[in-house]
Amino acid sequence: MIERDVEFGASVTFDSVSKTYGAVKALSDFNLSIQRGEFVTLLGPSGSGKTTALNVLAGFADATEGDVRVNKKSILGLPPERRNIGMVFQNYSLFPHMNVFENVAFPLRLRKMSQAEIKKRVGDSLAMVQLAEFGDRMPNQLSGGQRQRVAFARAIVFEPSVLLMDEPLGALDLKLREAMQLEIKRYHKQLGCTILFVTHDQGEALALSDRIAVMGEGQIVQIDTPDRIYDEPNSKYVADFIGTTNIVDFERVSPSRVRFSDLDVEFELADSNKNWGEGRQSISLRPEKLHRDISPSDQMIIFDGSIEEYLFLGNIIQYSVKTKSGKTLLFQEHRGPSVPILARGETLKLAFSINDARPLDEGTHGSGLA
Amino acid sequence: MNTNRKITSTWLLWPALFMLVAFFLIPTLDILRASVYDPEFTTKHFVKLFGSNVYLEILWRTIRLSLIVSLICAVIAYPVSYFIVLRPRKQQIFFLFLVFIPLWMSVLIRSYAWMVVLGREGLINAIMIGLGFTDQPVKMLFTTGAVYIAMVQILLPIQIVTCYSAMSEIDFDLMRAARILGAKPWQAIRRVFLPLSLDGTVTGAIIVFMLSMGFFITPALVGGRKDIMMANLIEFQVNQLNWGFAAAISIVLLIATVISVFIIKRLAKTLTRRLVGGGSA
Amino acid sequence: MTRMLKRIAKVAMATLVVAGSANLAFAEDKEITFSGSGGVVGKVSKEVWWGPYTEATGIKINHVAAEAKRMPQLEAMVKSGNVLWDAMEVSASDYPLGVKKGLFEPIDYSQVDPDNQLPADTREEFGVAYAAYSQVLIVRTDKLPEGKKMQSWADFWDVENFPGPRALRGRAEDNLEFALLADGVPAEDIYKVLSTKEGLDRAFAKMDEIKPHITTWWTSGAQSVQLLSDGEVYFCPSYNGRITTLVSSGIPAEIVWNGGAMHKSYIAIPKGTKKLKEATEYVKFRTTSADRMREYVTHLPYPGWAPGLFDGMDPKMAANMPTYPQNQAVQFSASAEFWAENLEAIQERWTEWLLQ
Ligand SMILES: Nc1ncnc2c1ncn2[C@@H]1O[C@H](COP(=O)(O)OP(=O)(O)O)[C@@H](O)[C@H]1O
Ligand SMILES: [Mg+2]
Repeated sequence: MIERDVEFGASVTFDSVSKTYGAVKALSDFNLSIQRGEFVTLLGPSGSGKTTALNVLAGFADATEGDVRVNKKSILGLPPERRNIGMVFQNYSLFPHMNVFENVAFPLRLRKMSQAEIKKRVGDSLAMVQLAEFGDRMPNQLSGGQRQRVAFARAIVFEPSVLLMDEPLGALDLKLREAMQLEIKRYHKQLGCTILFVTHDQGEALALSDRIAVMGEGQIVQIDTPDRIYDEPNSKYVADFIGTTNIVDFERVSPSRVRFSDLDVEFELADSNKNWGEGRQSISLRPEKLHRDISPSDQMIIFDGSIEEYLFLGNIIQYSVKTKSGKTLLFQEHRGPSVPILARGETLKLAFSINDARPLDEGTHGSGLA
Repeated sequence: MNTNRKITSTWLLWPALFMLVAFFLIPTLDILRASVYDPEFTTKHFVKLFGSNVYLEILWRTIRLSLIVSLICAVIAYPVSYFIVLRPRKQQIFFLFLVFIPLWMSVLIRSYAWMVVLGREGLINAIMIGLGFTDQPVKMLFTTGAVYIAMVQILLPIQIVTCYSAMSEIDFDLMRAARILGAKPWQAIRRVFLPLSLDGTVTGAIIVFMLSMGFFITPALVGGRKDIMMANLIEFQVNQLNWGFAAAISIVLLIATVISVFIIKRLAKTLTRRLVGGGSA
Repeated sequence: MTRMLKRIAKVAMATLVVAGSANLAFAEDKEITFSGSGGVVGKVSKEVWWGPYTEATGIKINHVAAEAKRMPQLEAMVKSGNVLWDAMEVSASDYPLGVKKGLFEPIDYSQVDPDNQLPADTREEFGVAYAAYSQVLIVRTDKLPEGKKMQSWADFWDVENFPGPRALRGRAEDNLEFALLADGVPAEDIYKVLSTKEGLDRAFAKMDEIKPHITTWWTSGAQSVQLLSDGEVYFCPSYNGRITTLVSSGIPAEIVWNGGAMHKSYIAIPKGTKKLKEATEYVKFRTTSADRMREYVTHLPYPGWAPGLFDGMDPKMAANMPTYPQNQAVQFSASAEFWAENLEAIQERWTEWLLQ
């Protein structure tokens, strides 16, 4: 176990940071505050500015505007080597001419630590990633997962104030990726360090993060805990990016009445819920929020549809349902002895609670994606 | 599946193997045979070769000249390749093109060109006399220095191209990794870039060295009277139809080259280890 | 029946093919392959020698431009029994080599020179001298001290009275002879002296004197011309024909015939040629046709000994010929035999001497 000094784990603040490459705004007015010891993920499609944010923090790119602070001190004037930041690169970036031990010892040697100290620290780090016996191996003698772990050990061995990880699992196959996700989570708990993680895989973001910042076009569209990001996306862009969802249009036909044109139904809002969906025109409706057991209440919206297609997802089955107005929705339910599988062409009634429907901002971001 | 692939790959190697045997192994063995059968078994050629200072002296001069030329090439080519590899892709092609241009001229013409530049009434002397640096022409042509200059100019593109291709394969993220791990720019170069590019540099230097060992036109044209190469001796003996002695010189040259290359490689390995392992940064 | 017809047809076809190829072979016999210098020499020879020869005899000349490694090539051909050349030029130094290795057919002088008109020293057993070239001192007249004229090897050695950079050829041949001449040995005694240990030492001792003043040791005729025309050196021996290049490019230069080394070039017949008769005929044509040779030397100053060559030649041109009686008288005849005998030993000493 690595002995921690107080520095290990610092707060990070991006304050109105902009970064332009010629005409391209890689970051524009980017704001993010990360607490000490927090695990924050930047999630967004390729080109949304995730790597640029890390590069500005690491010192590989200069911010065009704004400030970046670590532990409340601006670091923009410092070269990368003086920022004390750990980084795990997507392609590991292990030094191919050094064995595992020397790779991990590299930052310690630069910090002029004693031989004994180096031996102890490298030993501890390698033990933590379960590679204690692999010190003599060369990087090309390791599997992808092992390289990943060495890269991790190297990034944390000098107790950086922040650990940056840029799509660190992108090159691994699915099974290994899931195993590594668990390990990263364990390391985070063990070390208590601040981690800024980058991925375009929403599942990974949901599994790992304390908070997720969904990015689009160089800005954060929504930042929140994984459950709230999932349950309460604030925009079409986020809703569509996180998990699978149905976007359903609606319109207000009177102050208390809305019409879901896609479902060909109207709904009378309860008095307590008069402001629902004010100023919005669509909802996010998660496939698992739809159900077949219809117990009419004033909270439920019921509509007709017919089965077009179905897909087994293990213990879940997912149907494509066509509504009367021709819109196709996804609908998921758990399989079980009491839940018969519906056949293609079968008609059915589906229902959802008005509280499970998330009215969405049209959003200025990612309109092409929604 | 695996064995299948093995069989296929062996088949694919056959032409290469054939070429190697036909164009390298057999001729070499034939030269070896010619050096000791003339027509009966004899060691007289080797006895003559090692019995006289002349041949050993020229062998040593050849090795020394080749070593110095390859060293100068390596030292010049390294920063040049580094400069090229840091350019954007399109510019890289442009710069490589520039490097390649001299390769389209024959060695003979380039050697003559150097005579024009370095001569008594040549370009440099004309400029120096014109500017009043000297009133007597400085002797530059027909010196060992001129041999170095001409040979380096002739062989440099080869070194640059080898060096460049090694450098262009280095993942520049490694340099970023080194920086964020605490290395200053020069430390990142010394600990990461240099060791990784050294292999290519050494390969290039070895190619240059081997080519130099066989040079004879350029030293004869621009060098002094002592700039005699082993290849000059071989040429002379071949023209005298002294096949046996020519073969013996060739064999000695070949063995000397192989041994030198071996030593260069060992030195390079030690150097790399020093660069990587050195505790103090 | 049809089978029979088919067989007859086949036989007929085969006969036709054989007859046809025999015809072709016959046509081929009317051609010899000649290995000679390329470049200007080849171009002029084609016009002056080969064209007229074909006209006169109906035998075509297939010219293969000689490369530097001609003797090794010839030896390989003779050894493998696959001789591609029917006649060839052979330099003075290569001639004894080829004789020693048995690479030439003997010359049938009853065919080539039945009336014994060629000088005796041009009639060798395995080759006929067809041209002469000399290594002579060439002087940049514009670089000479006021009112002085370089006239001998002794002058070349005299760096006090004739200051300026000099070059020599980087081989022992000719140079040691020049050194002895400079040291006062009469031309007719050179090889007698060189054959003794003391004489050789004397030649090298004389070479020691000039060594520090030699800018460079050239390896090809082209290089020696370059050196003179670039002003890299002022005094330098070269082949007599090279003066034309210098003079025609406006460089003031002249030949010192005195002490020049005259070499003979031979025409020889590679051993094992299948066209011995035609090749011999060409040898005769090349060595004895005075009118052709006179025409030839208007292009290139490499005359031979065809009887009557200087009859009616422009005296100014004749004065540029190494075989012109006045010129030949002051030169010495380079001994290919001496060098064939001694080159190997002397060359080693020469190389060692260069390195000192
Ligand atoms: N060095 C650079 N030069 C020019 N444009 C760049 C550079 N780095 C990034 N960009 C641009 O900035 C935008 C954001 O890129 P990046 O931060 O790499 O996105 P992500 O990591 O989310 O895929 C993209 O449009 C990209 O093309
Ligand atoms: Mg990226």
